[in-house]
Amino acid sequence: MDDIEALVDFKTGRQKRAIYSDPDIYQLELERIYGRCWLFLAHECQISKPGDFIRTFMGEDEVLVTRQKDNSIKAFLNTCTHRGNRLCKADHGNKKSFVCNYHGWSFGFDGKLNGVPLEAEAYYNKLDKSQFGLVEVAQLESYKGLIFATFDKSAPSLEEYLGEMKWYLDIWLDAMPEGTELIGTAMKVELPVNWKLPVENVSGDGYHLGWAHAGAMTVSSSSKLTDMEVGNTSVDNSAAISVAGLNGHAVLAALDGKSGYAFYPEPKLAEDYLDKNRQTVIDRLGNYRGKNMWGSQINLTVFPNLQMLPGLNWFRIYHPKGPGKLEMWTWAMVDKEMSDDLKSMVLNNVSRTFGPAGLFDNDDGDNLQAITEQSRGWRTKQMDVYTNMAIGGEHSREELPGVVSDGLVCEQNQRYVYRRWQEMMRANDWSEIPTYNSLDEARATEAD
Amino acid sequence: MNDTSVSNEIYLSLQQLLYREARLLSAERYDDWLELLSDDIQYEMAMPQRRFKEQRSQANAPEKTPIFNDDKRSLLMRIDRFKTGFVWAENPANAIRHIISNVEVFKSSEPDLFNVYSIIEIHRSRLDGDRKRLTAGREDTWQNTALGYQLLKRTAILDDGVVLDSNMNFFF
Repeated sequence: MDDIEALVDFKTGRQKRAIYSDPDIYQLELERIYGRCWLFLAHECQISKPGDFIRTFMGEDEVLVTRQKDNSIKAFLNTCTHRGNRLCKADHGNKKSFVCNYHGWSFGFDGKLNGVPLEAEAYYNKLDKSQFGLVEVAQLESYKGLIFATFDKSAPSLEEYLGEMKWYLDIWLDAMPEGTELIGTAMKVELPVNWKLPVENVSGDGYHLGWAHAGAMTVSSSSKLTDMEVGNTSVDNSAAISVAGLNGHAVLAALDGKSGYAFYPEPKLAEDYLDKNRQTVIDRLGNYRGKNMWGSQINLTVFPNLQMLPGLNWFRIYHPKGPGKLEMWTWAMVDKEMSDDLKSMVLNNVSRTFGPAGLFDNDDGDNLQAITEQSRGWRTKQMDVYTNMAIGGEHSREELPGVVSDGLVCEQNQRYVYRRWQEMMRANDWSEIPTYNSLDEARATEAD
Repeated sequence: MNDTSVSNEIYLSLQQLLYREARLLSAERYDDWLELLSDDIQYEMAMPQRRFKEQRSQANAPEKTPIFNDDKRSLLMRIDRFKTGFVWAENPANAIRHIISNVEVFKSSEPDLFNVYSIIEIHRSRLDGDRKRLTAGREDTWQNTALGYQLLKRTAILDDGVVLDSNMNFFF
């Protein structure tokens, strides 16, 4: 494997193509990123009652997320501790216990091994069942409805991990008093794509919108997002911000308070909802977020693999399945206070824009697949790729946490995402991973 | 659906129409396809879920997420996107075949409406050796009108819980 230091150059915005294809790099990512970071598991609304469970992934590790009798949440590896069979094959449901299909070992919903067939006859009653319970994640916490877990006991708290990103997440998660909920079930798509490519794309790539999505923008726009023209002939970069330097998390945001609904053909129902509740949100989040950000097109990225777009209202995670494969799960997320009609409009629009047959999403897959494939050739993979747009544009703003650059068309955020990737990959443990939430802190912690 | 059988003549007409529709879709002849659709078309396909059999009819099951939930207007929007010439993923075209089988035609409670079941298998040849195959069941309602039979409602049931193609720039 190449030296980690040679794979990413933060200052000049350069990455080695090998990071999208090298199997050794991928194995190290599973250990040092997916084995270490706080990863999104489920929205609390998905397991609202005791006995509810959902099956998901942390990296390539399969996990069952469960609502316990006392309403607490536990997450276990979805694997029998006897011979390693998968315990549960359903995506979600409600159970009292999990029984393995292979030999009938029975685990309580709390993860304890309760029943072993022929325990007396074949194990002579000598099996210490307390040693064979399901394996739990190391830490599990929620932030405003979103359940996260980490396999690393020494990881900082979720609050600290999210840092000032919470200020931006609250624009969706805490704008309205009752919070958010996912509606419908996950739309799942397998893509022959390295997991970092959609993450970097949504984290900061406003550049591709007017070109890659020119067809979708032409037919579905009801208004212009930062005066962006189809074909990328013009854009108003003063109308939006890129924010990064938030422990690897990133934000891309228009500042008009309404463009989140620009890609709804008939956004009136949503615009009425924004008008009606604007004051409530200003009272809760203050003037800047309430007026400029709530209702705007915003891309929120929680490192390493969770992204959400208020307005377009999609909520998405990527599960890595090898250096060249991922599963992308997308939901519609709404404010609980929205009317049923508006929720239904949002669900349909999420599906129509970013579902498996989504007008926008159907433009991205082939590009990201091709980049993945163009990192494999013997000669090609020695090449670099670049995120060197708007270098030197980073600044701080009193009203905004993090490192700020102008515009949606800007590659600052991608540079910071890859910086974080490199910080995680080079560190031997959490004590070597820096914390930064502002330009000063980001500069002070920058590697030489 | 009410499973009352129809005359051979009606069966053959609708079976031929499904084949013709498949040929139009494979050739991306979307304007010709639109002529087969009622102005009141409901075109639907939901995301499948893997659930335990005993829990599938649970009253509080989560709402199904649509992959397609279209009327004539939104189908036109999809087709207009193809016509912009900006859908780079489809140029060069990905060769596609819509294969229709297991066609069954039944009368409904309305004399002009027919319930039609079929299975569709979609083959797509993508770049180089990349080949995709998707299967779905379809439950249609076709209406006998002055303009001939028109598709009033289609509910397609996709078989894969994880969609195995990076786009669905096509119709079922």
